[in-house]
Amino acid sequence: MIMIILTLFSGLCAGVLSGLLGVGGGIVLVPVMVFILGLTQHTAQGISLLVIIPTALSGAYHLHKEKLINYQAAFYLALGAISGTLISSNFVQMVPAKYLQEIFGIFIIFTGIKMIFAKTKK
Amino acid sequence: MGKKSKLTIGGFFAGILSGLLGVGGGIIMVPIMISYFNLSQHQAHATSLAVIVPTAIASSIIYGFHGQLDMSVAMNLAIGSIIGAAIGAKTMKKIPAAQLKRMFGVLLVLVGIRMISL
Repeated sequence: MIMIILTLFSGLCAGVLSGLLGVGGGIVLVPVMVFILGLTQHTAQGISLLVIIPTALSGAYHLHKEKLINYQAAFYLALGAISGTLISSNFVQMVPAKYLQEIFGIFIIFTGIKMIFAKTKK
Repeated sequence: MGKKSKLTIGGFFAGILSGLLGVGGGIIMVPIMISYFNLSQHQAHATSLAVIVPTAIASSIIYGFHGQLDMSVAMNLAIGSIIGAAIGAKTMKKIPAAQLKRMFGVLLVLVGIRMISL
């Protein structure tokens, strides 16, 4: 029971942050699952991808109604993205959790620095 | 190189990142669309979400094949996350987002350092 509440609350915090800052859920969700829920890096990433599906879908639905999606660009991006992920999702299973955590750490440090120095929106 | 192949290559790198790190890949796609294809910030954000849906489905199927999924944790996180995102998006207009973004950036750097040194 405590675990369920903790998980719901973690999701809530991750959602608030991503809604507030416009960052994707994964960058918040993965560290939360690793540090607070105690999951392994690989499982945390798999779950993060699952959670991203309904979250992105509901966001895309609203933006589709506002006619903001460029479907032609989306098609070619998705073509490349699906090919890319079919390679890396398989490859990543062979990477030891320790190294994967380090790669993830470098990625979020980079993202953090980018956010610190981001130009303010006009 | 044509616009279509550039988009496909950009998408390819976003996909690599998505599968490797369990994130959406918007961090690569959004700047590409803004800088090279003159989409507005809003259009780029919307389009990246439309790409993330099929990409995340493909990634999670592969992760599922390798047994790296936990449906019940995912369900609870998703419920919390969708409610949270709605709250966050509404509050966004009322607070100074730029400053918050910097603070979150600092937090990410600290968490990242912790992940490297673990």
